Amino acid sequence: MRPFGYYAPRTLEEAVALLRELGEVARPVAGGTDLVAQMKEGRAKFRYPDMLVSLAGISEMQGIDFGESAGLRIGAGTRLADVAGSPVIRDRYRALADGAGLIGSVQTMNMGTIGGNICNAAPSADTAPALLAYEAEAVIVGRDGRRSVPIEEIFKGPGVTALEHGELLAELRLPAPVPNTGSVYRRHTPRKQMDIAVAGVAAVITVESGVITRARLALGAVGPTPFRARQAEATLEGSRANDDAFTRAAAAAANECSPISDVRGSAEFRQHLVRVMTETVVREAVLAAGA
Amino acid sequence: MAQETTTRERDETTHRFVGQPTPRSDASAKVTGRALYTDDIKLPRMLHAKVLGSAYAHARIRSVDTVKARQFPGVEAVVTSADLPAHKKNPSNRRGIIFPDDEALFFGQPLAAVLAADPHVAAEALALIDVEYEPLAPVVDPVEAMKPDAPLVRAPLHDIDRSEEQGHVAVDLESGNKEDRPGNVASETPFKRGDVEAGFAEADVVIEHTWRSAMVHQSYIEPHSTIADFDGSELTVWTSTQAPFYIRDELAQTLGLPENRIRVIAAEMGGGFGGKIYLTELMVSALAMLVRRPVKYVMSRHEDMLAATPAPSAHITLKTGMRRDGTLTALQSRLIYDTGAFPGAAVPAGATAIGGYYKCPNLDIIGYEVMTNKVSVGALRAPAAHNATYAIECHMDMMAAELGLDPLEVRLKNAVEEGDPMPSGQAYPRIGLRECLRAISESSVWKRRSATKAAPNRGVGLAVGGWLGGLQPASAVCCLNSDGTLNVTVGAADITGVNTSFQQITAEVFGLPLDRITVTYGDTKTAPYAGMSAGSKTTYTVGRAVKLAAEDARLQMLEIAAQRLEATPEELETVDGEVRVKGSPDRAITFARLGRWTTNFGARYPAVVGRGAISATKAAPGFTAQAAEVEVDSDTGEVTLTGFAIAQDAGFAINPLSVEGQMQGGASQGLGLALWEEMLYDAEGRLLNGNLLDYRLPTARDLPPIETHIVEVPSEEGPYGARIVGEPSIVPGIAAISNAVADATGTRVTDAPITPERVLRAMGKI
Amino acid sequence: MPKQIINVRINGEAHEVAVEPNWTLLETIREALGFTGPKEGCGTGDCGACSIILRGPQDERGRLLTSCLMLAPQADGAEITTIEGLAADGTLHPVQQAFIDAGGVQCGFCTPGMVMAATALLDSNPNPSLEEIQRGLAGNLCRCTGYTKIFAAVEMAAQRMRSS
Repeated sequence: MRPFGYYAPRTLEEAVALLRELGEVARPVAGGTDLVAQMKEGRAKFRYPDMLVSLAGISEMQGIDFGESAGLRIGAGTRLADVAGSPVIRDRYRALADGAGLIGSVQTMNMGTIGGNICNAAPSADTAPALLAYEAEAVIVGRDGRRSVPIEEIFKGPGVTALEHGELLAELRLPAPVPNTGSVYRRHTPRKQMDIAVAGVAAVITVESGVITRARLALGAVGPTPFRARQAEATLEGSRANDDAFTRAAAAAANECSPISDVRGSAEFRQHLVRVMTETVVREAVLAAGA
Repeated sequence: MAQETTTRERDETTHRFVGQPTPRSDASAKVTGRALYTDDIKLPRMLHAKVLGSAYAHARIRSVDTVKARQFPGVEAVVTSADLPAHKKNPSNRRGIIFPDDEALFFGQPLAAVLAADPHVAAEALALIDVEYEPLAPVVDPVEAMKPDAPLVRAPLHDIDRSEEQGHVAVDLESGNKEDRPGNVASETPFKRGDVEAGFAEADVVIEHTWRSAMVHQSYIEPHSTIADFDGSELTVWTSTQAPFYIRDELAQTLGLPENRIRVIAAEMGGGFGGKIYLTELMVSALAMLVRRPVKYVMSRHEDMLAATPAPSAHITLKTGMRRDGTLTALQSRLIYDTGAFPGAAVPAGATAIGGYYKCPNLDIIGYEVMTNKVSVGALRAPAAHNATYAIECHMDMMAAELGLDPLEVRLKNAVEEGDPMPSGQAYPRIGLRECLRAISESSVWKRRSATKAAPNRGVGLAVGGWLGGLQPASAVCCLNSDGTLNVTVGAADITGVNTSFQQITAEVFGLPLDRITVTYGDTKTAPYAGMSAGSKTTYTVGRAVKLAAEDARLQMLEIAAQRLEATPEELETVDGEVRVKGSPDRAITFARLGRWTTNFGARYPAVVGRGAISATKAAPGFTAQAAEVEVDSDTGEVTLTGFAIAQDAGFAINPLSVEGQMQGGASQGLGLALWEEMLYDAEGRLLNGNLLDYRLPTARDLPPIETHIVEVPSEEGPYGARIVGEPSIVPGIAAISNAVADATGTRVTDAPITPERVLRAMGKI
Repeated sequence: MPKQIINVRINGEAHEVAVEPNWTLLETIREALGFTGPKEGCGTGDCGACSIILRGPQDERGRLLTSCLMLAPQADGAEITTIEGLAADGTLHPVQQAFIDAGGVQCGFCTPGMVMAATALLDSNPNPSLEEIQRGLAGNLCRCTGYTKIFAAVEMAAQRMRSS
């Protein structure tokens, strides 16, 4: 790696001030699993930084808290392994545990953070579809203090987020789970692990008396950003939870994705995956809602 | 855990040490991190080299401006072709070239190097070298490259040197180098027998298909790494190689040094699989000679994928005919291997594989080695055989299916045996193909086949593979120490645990426990000659030399003991570190006493030095049969391996633990090629997936435990009947998977790797 | 860039080392401190050969990670275990011994990382199923063995550790 300066602030305030002071030549680094790999091979999707500001020592970015009415708060610096292993997330926010638990290896999950997974803004980020489907809020800290933004507004394009320079993602907030709700995230990869999603589908579905009362679907790796499949959601809401509904949702989801062809798969293949996986994921989420 | 069996012809009780599963002698150093690989070695004043690769697959190099790089603080030297003495110019083979003078032939081809004590400094300065290119049309597709009007990959070739390929395989070669005709075909290999048209006419089923298999990378976990040091007179090279003597000889020729002043030390090697013969040693040696300081170059993974010697893709058309009773009547094939920018694809081996497994009276095979503007290729475990085997082994299943015959029976009916001709006409010695088929039929994967097939989307596929192996002379020395222990020295790099097998052979000869014997790999100045550790031949050839050396040393000891015990050498035996008179265990002399009598001041007997040297002339081909059990997700096309079994003829498994490891390792590589591995190039000849995320090796999640069945059909010359082992196991993997997927889904995939997308396309789902 | 001083404990021994920010922890361990166990196979966290166990100042327990992706200054204050620190008083760790006995070692280049991954797995799960072993080792590529004998080694080590 080419040289760069390094700072390790202890507080968010300090980090934000540092980033502002250093200017756009500085870049934050959390777990480093994506950033350092990109910087090494000179295949960085961003300008090579002169300075790195490590967020690893900022304790206020850590931790998982849950309240029945307040919902879930996850510090952006929380490691993926801790997200995937958290009993409350596994129990109440299954799709997020699924997504966090699929990223790379044990080693990757022990280093990488949920904030990093979001801020890299890869279309294939495995926690993104679940966070979209749960309608998470991103708490962003900048020079003007905190602002809260729907996670959907964070993703602007491959590698691009709504965060301004000098802003940091501090935490994610997920609303309290609605009763009778099930959630699932699945992705397709050629290998069973250590791979990047060719397509990913998350569903959060509420079922009451056999009717889908609320459906949130989000897709990964099949567009410039992870995104909500609203047409598919609309076909589900108000429908009876049956195969016919699942098939219609699958067709709608396939219709609203806009994948590219690249080394990981052709557009046609990805669209096909969205269709077959949406059907499976919705069915599993409906089953989970009943349980 | 996976089932393991050994099927032996001979009496189990005759041997104490050989034939016993034995943990590797080097395992302790490896599990503690003490084993020293090239990058673990540091020398005083050592410089690190970083190398600039071509930004184009084909370009004229107008100029290389190094001024800024030379001025960068900490840089000791910037070296381009202009700074190097004239080595071989316009060499036909890559091993004669360091940096090209004026034409880059593949993306990533080394053009210049920066030397600095700090590798980060060298890397930074590298970015300051300014190359002015004139891009030329790259030739990327080998089929296109064969067309008469195709642009030329490069200037015409002369005197192609085939020495490296010959280290891997000994095929009787009639192939002509086509250097006389300007074009992109580097060589043609024709094999003909009988009359194929007549053969097709008498067949009840004739099928013709085209089979494509990807360019793949050996993907040893340790990238290429080399250190060289030149003291003004002698050159010392530490390197990650399978072929120390070969490197010495090549360096001597190219650099103009006598061989006795080049010391090549094969450091501990982190995997080679045919891909670590001779690559960076010339450049690093030339740099060290230029700056008169030790120079280290360790390829990054990306560089290794761009610019080492991966294995060729192939495009193979095959037409076969079979009679209703399952008799193969004719085989016609056209094989096109993409050798990249320099010759090196082992096409004769592919042409031998496609027509060499079954008795077939009528053959018409032509193999083409075609150049493109891609990195030049090398060997990967039985080079060129897996591509060809994919075609023939799928055809056997497809013809059997059309005729309603059992795939195993059809193979047994046609399988070659001793005396049958290979495509070259050369006759097979005794081989174990039939025995492997019988053994695989006893595997749990094959036995539960009907139950597996009854479940939806599940299936079992069978395929066989074989490999001739290479032949080279070998030698070894066995010395008695003053305390009665033994030192054995060999010149072959230990890449598969052969030193442990040599220890077992020596133990067997002497009846001495393993811990009293040490086997040392020497280097090209201290060890007796051995060929490269490639072509599966190390135990087969060097093992024989070790046995002879041990027997020679033992005889010397018996002759000394005979004088003291008043017996003839024939009346003596060696047991547990003693020479005894047979039948009178009290009349004995310990090895330690013999050691002292042959080493101490005033000792009356000469030192005991056993010598073993052989020339290997008889091939001992190895065959394997493999069964794959898969489940195919009909929605996503994903193929999950639920079981895999391999039967292989090892002749005699000197160390069954190592033999199983070679079988499982090779099989896992075959499965990698079958399902995941593929180097992807764009239309400009640039590699798109030069990392271990996008070039997918199988992970621990992707492979089931692999069941092994060792078959032992003894070879004529190998130690205790051992034959070649290392390579055959990779060969049938793709075919076995394609056959299993066909069994599960009724759909045939003809392109490897068999990715989910290709499965879905074959099923007509996308 | 000016060097920074970091303090790390490696295999129980304290080290104060001056590092540049663009050094990885792997480079620091290998080049500055002279350990040879952790290896660089890819440099991008895809092969696992550089795996170590690290416990940062805020961590409750050690974590298996790829030292090629950690910046040296990020390791300040950490306790690190490399393959060199597994054997105690000259006796191999049961995982090391099982890798030898079961034939889980071939070329040996993946071995230090693989043994660390297996050790970390058994620390948190003393009786893993085959699938749990496969998940625990999926970040460690081995090109020689096909993993079969590595799975057997981990099972052997687990069994020996439970019964001792």
